[in-house]
Amino acid sequence: TMSDPEILNKKNKKLDFWIWGIASIIFRIILIYFPKNLNLSSRPEVSTPLTNLRRLAEGYWLKQSSISPYAGSMYHGSPLLLSMLGPLTVKKIEGQPNNLLCSLIFVNADFVAALLIRATGHYLQTAYDRSLELLGISTPLGRSEALPSGEIAALVYLWNPLTIVTCLGSSTAPIENLVVILTLCGACAGLAPLAAFGWVMATHFSLYPVILIIPVVLLLGFGPDAPPRKLFIQKKFGKVGMDLSSDKSLKHKEVTTLRVSPMHFSWVNIFHFLFWACLWSIYVLLLCGISLKDYGGLSEMFRRTYGFILCVEDLSPNIGVLWYFFAEVFEFFRGFFLIVFHVNILFMILPLAIRLNHRPCFLAFVYVAISSMLKSYPSVGDAALYLGLLGLFVNELAGKLDILTNAGDMHFSFFLFCGYVGVFLLSPVMHNLWIWRGTGNANFYFATAITYACFQIILVVESVSAMLNHDRFLRKLSTTTTTTAGIS
Amino acid sequence: MSGIESINARRRPIVRLGVFLISHSLIVSVICCIAAILALLLLPVLAKSTYVSENALMPGSANTMLSNQEVSEADRLVKDVNALSLESVDAGINIAKLIARYMADLGAEVCYHKFRRQQNQFNPLHFFLSTDPVVVQRNISCSSFGVNTVGVIRAPRGDGKEAIVLVTPYNSSRIDAAEASSLGIGYSIFSLLSQVTWLAKDIIWLAADSRFGVYAPVASWLKDYHTPLFSGLGQVNAGVCHESNDLLKLKDAMVSDTNISKIFTRAGTMAAALVVKVVDRHNEADEDTLSIFAEASNGQMPNLDLINIVNYLAVHRQGLRVKVEKFWSLLDSKFLNFVGETVELLGKVAKSLNPNWRFGMPVAEYVEGTATLASSLFNQALGVPTGPHGAFRDYQVDAITLEISPKGSLKSMGQRIDFLMRGGRLVEAVVWSVNNLLEKFHQSFFLYLLTSPSKFVSVGIYMIAFALLIAPLPIVAASLCSDANRRDSSLSKEGSSQPHASADEPNPTLKSWRWLHAAKSVFVIHFWSSLVTLLPHFISKMPSGTSASSLLIWLSLCILSLFLLYTILGSPFSHITTSRPQEWAILKSVTVSAAFIGLCLMSVINFATAEIGALLIVPMCLIACPLKLDLQDWSFRALIRAASNLTLVLIAFPPATFYLLKGGIEGSDSVSVGNFWNWLETLWAWNSATYLYIGMVHLPCWVLCLNILLHPR
Repeated sequence: TMSDPEILNKKNKKLDFWIWGIASIIFRIILIYFPKNLNLSSRPEVSTPLTNLRRLAEGYWLKQSSISPYAGSMYHGSPLLLSMLGPLTVKKIEGQPNNLLCSLIFVNADFVAALLIRATGHYLQTAYDRSLELLGISTPLGRSEALPSGEIAALVYLWNPLTIVTCLGSSTAPIENLVVILTLCGACAGLAPLAAFGWVMATHFSLYPVILIIPVVLLLGFGPDAPPRKLFIQKKFGKVGMDLSSDKSLKHKEVTTLRVSPMHFSWVNIFHFLFWACLWSIYVLLLCGISLKDYGGLSEMFRRTYGFILCVEDLSPNIGVLWYFFAEVFEFFRGFFLIVFHVNILFMILPLAIRLNHRPCFLAFVYVAISSMLKSYPSVGDAALYLGLLGLFVNELAGKLDILTNAGDMHFSFFLFCGYVGVFLLSPVMHNLWIWRGTGNANFYFATAITYACFQIILVVESVSAMLNHDRFLRKLSTTTTTTAGIS
Repeated sequence: MSGIESINARRRPIVRLGVFLISHSLIVSVICCIAAILALLLLPVLAKSTYVSENALMPGSANTMLSNQEVSEADRLVKDVNALSLESVDAGINIAKLIARYMADLGAEVCYHKFRRQQNQFNPLHFFLSTDPVVVQRNISCSSFGVNTVGVIRAPRGDGKEAIVLVTPYNSSRIDAAEASSLGIGYSIFSLLSQVTWLAKDIIWLAADSRFGVYAPVASWLKDYHTPLFSGLGQVNAGVCHESNDLLKLKDAMVSDTNISKIFTRAGTMAAALVVKVVDRHNEADEDTLSIFAEASNGQMPNLDLINIVNYLAVHRQGLRVKVEKFWSLLDSKFLNFVGETVELLGKVAKSLNPNWRFGMPVAEYVEGTATLASSLFNQALGVPTGPHGAFRDYQVDAITLEISPKGSLKSMGQRIDFLMRGGRLVEAVVWSVNNLLEKFHQSFFLYLLTSPSKFVSVGIYMIAFALLIAPLPIVAASLCSDANRRDSSLSKEGSSQPHASADEPNPTLKSWRWLHAAKSVFVIHFWSSLVTLLPHFISKMPSGTSASSLLIWLSLCILSLFLLYTILGSPFSHITTSRPQEWAILKSVTVSAAFIGLCLMSVINFATAEIGALLIVPMCLIACPLKLDLQDWSFRALIRAASNLTLVLIAFPPATFYLLKGGIEGSDSVSVGNFWNWLETLWAWNSATYLYIGMVHLPCWVLCLNILLHPR
């Protein structure tokens, strides 16, 4: 039962969300009208060879003149994106900035992504509340005081300067981010077809989201993030051991509630997901095949998209670390180091999946962050995605629940913030120094790239350790509650 | 206590070092600041002698070939030009025609380059977007155009891919003897080089019409050179200016003279450029002097090798006295003399201890070095090019201005020929040297400060002073942050005995995320400052107004917008709660971090600005503390702190700093209210990053420090 002021407060907060969300859209639309002044699409931080809209327009133009869109190593994206966005790149409205239609689509994509993040946050929060209730953990403040993580994450995503810059920079990253978020949202809601669609599309667009299959399977199998499973077992057996004499009906209720709890792995959902994933991939491949029928077919597509990603063919500078390395490495060792770099991501998948299997959504965040650190053509759009996802765990990471011990508090948040701001301001300056002024060299720019990578590592390490601390805290809390329950 | 020690013992050494530094932040920052100022004062002592690092240059390896014949030819040109200028008040196009004829007679390719006077526009983003083509101005006045004359000699041994540029600026509307002889020097080289066989790079001689300032013609020629429009003069003329008298004359000249090309003549990429300027100082100097100007926009310098060879050739071959700019007023400074004496003394002591230690230098040399260094630092910090060579740097071409002043009068023929010979031989030797280059200048330094024509301080050394100066900022920020957090957690631990105490707080704490509020207020101030930075653009478009009134309008708009933003977005004081005493510390921590980021950024863009700015900002940021606290304390230390806070805040207010410096350097009677506005106007007209620095780093930092001082707790 909520008192009236609280309901009012909630309503106000909802209103606040919509106001700020729409304000961010208006802000973007205003900025779209200054494309010349900002010139963002030529920044290496914003658009990569994979996401640059100008390349897409070139690919579309090639295709219109009956040449393979992949000819000349200009375009490396999906043929579907080409047919979706291509016609819009040619359409020019008199007196309006170029690419207005595409920009509007990206603005929409951002907004929809934010709404999906908000929905994901709601799913996560209700599920988390339920599992805490199951464990009998009451926080000092009570859940009603908890921050609305969905709203916060959505607003962080919308107002993050990196998202705004990506949206304005004529790069297709907003759409890639949207499908990744769609995957997570679908998986959190337990909608296997939606999750499968998002996953297939995300993989098709940028390959790296393929590793998200693990969190998605965990999400569909166990349900959204919850405290460690051991706690539920302890709780169950602790209760069973203690309350042998209590009446059956209560015990029965306990069992039925535990069925929906993270204890149970639902294979049906997984098969559902796999079936739909197969269906969607066949569908996507079919469409791509039709689209590229005369230009080398699917093999050409795989070679020019996934091959381009995996072989790091384009060594133009970006905010990642691979271009510098592969510009230096001897041709002879190139293959070896390509494998080393890509396996780096794969190596981290399994240990993280084991350690964080009870928090699949957080696991997805960690995967996205790691792949944005080690991918071949990273841009700030990737950072925008994982920073938005980070907002979903604000309650756990900010030590909101464990206010007294401060255990799950994320360290260095201020340091990280300053670091991100510093790196993203310094990066264009270093680029200018190297490319335009000629007084610096590649090392100047690479220095910012490597600093950025370090900050990303610190972010991932700190957030994971904060999350694990939070788990520890929950364990402590749950054992005390069970013992106190036992004593009473 | 033992628990803390055991935690410390488990930590890695680097973490322990960090914790140590943070816990002793006060002493660390005092030491760092003192060391930084010492390092700055010692820079002239640490300066190294210059050396030519590119072997291919081989300065002075060949004997100069400039003979009397070329020089007397050149003298004829000088006489003709002088005669023309006497003939009519506005010789204008006639001089260009004369030069073109002389060029054509040598067998060079000649063309005219017509340019329009362009108003420098305020474009705050220019620094990052230098690739953009410049927007063409719409309201062109037909009368305001100038004509450059360009001659190109094709190199017999070259492939036409590289070129060396000579620039001789002259004022076509009022040419004097000195400018005429700079044309003479240009012509003597040009005529020699049109005959030699060893040339591997094309030679471009640009006789730049400097009636609208020396910078504009060179900049517009370079822009046209690098923007392949493929439009000749005819197309440019097709605009609106048919009735212009001079232009008709120019057209006539082109039609009549078949030697003059109608299209824009180009050679290859530019290896180097020399701007030759003759200045008749009528001064007391007993020998010909050469002044070198090298600072381009935003503190960029040409490669040191170029200065090296010019200096080497001028001193060792031509016997010129080489100078670089210095602050003359500093030469009498008592303080510097005192420091110089100390340095000398230290040097002597060091030498008596070990004869191999070559430390220290004579007082006079030290003071002179410091004056030169200060001037070098100041010119770089201003970000305004010191001559037409600045235009070349925007296209990554190394260029310097050689300002030669003769010892005698240019009126007498003998002295003039002697002078032309000397100047010509110097330029010839430099051209010979640059001609040897196989690549661009890249061996030597780009980032340096000069302490004399033959001594420099490289980036590796001058960075130390700056790094020491800003090192305390992150340490103090971390220590303030951790202090505030610790106090907070101790507070909440006290509160935990009565569990509902913390629940009373209107805004439940987020512990280490508490900085978010402070970050918000810092963001508001920075947002405000970027608005303020853009305001002059609109104010300058207002028709009426002297500079003083514009300044006043600007200031009032600043204050108004600040209060508006405070009411809309909340001031730093709006989140104060009684339970958190350390609110100001967090605000200070975020302010200090923002200042740190800003200074780091600026040090990459323009080191000199960052260095001078840091001298102002860093002490102000480090000392800032609420006056209320100090006044409550009423101890000697607190009062000293309050007083120094107030003085620093007064000094660091940008207009106050400006007026103080100007008054100090030029005397107090030369200062008027509008000066500051005019100064800022030059800064943004030259697209100087210093303007952005003042507006977006210094000003917000100052306002935030003021906020901290006025903080209620």
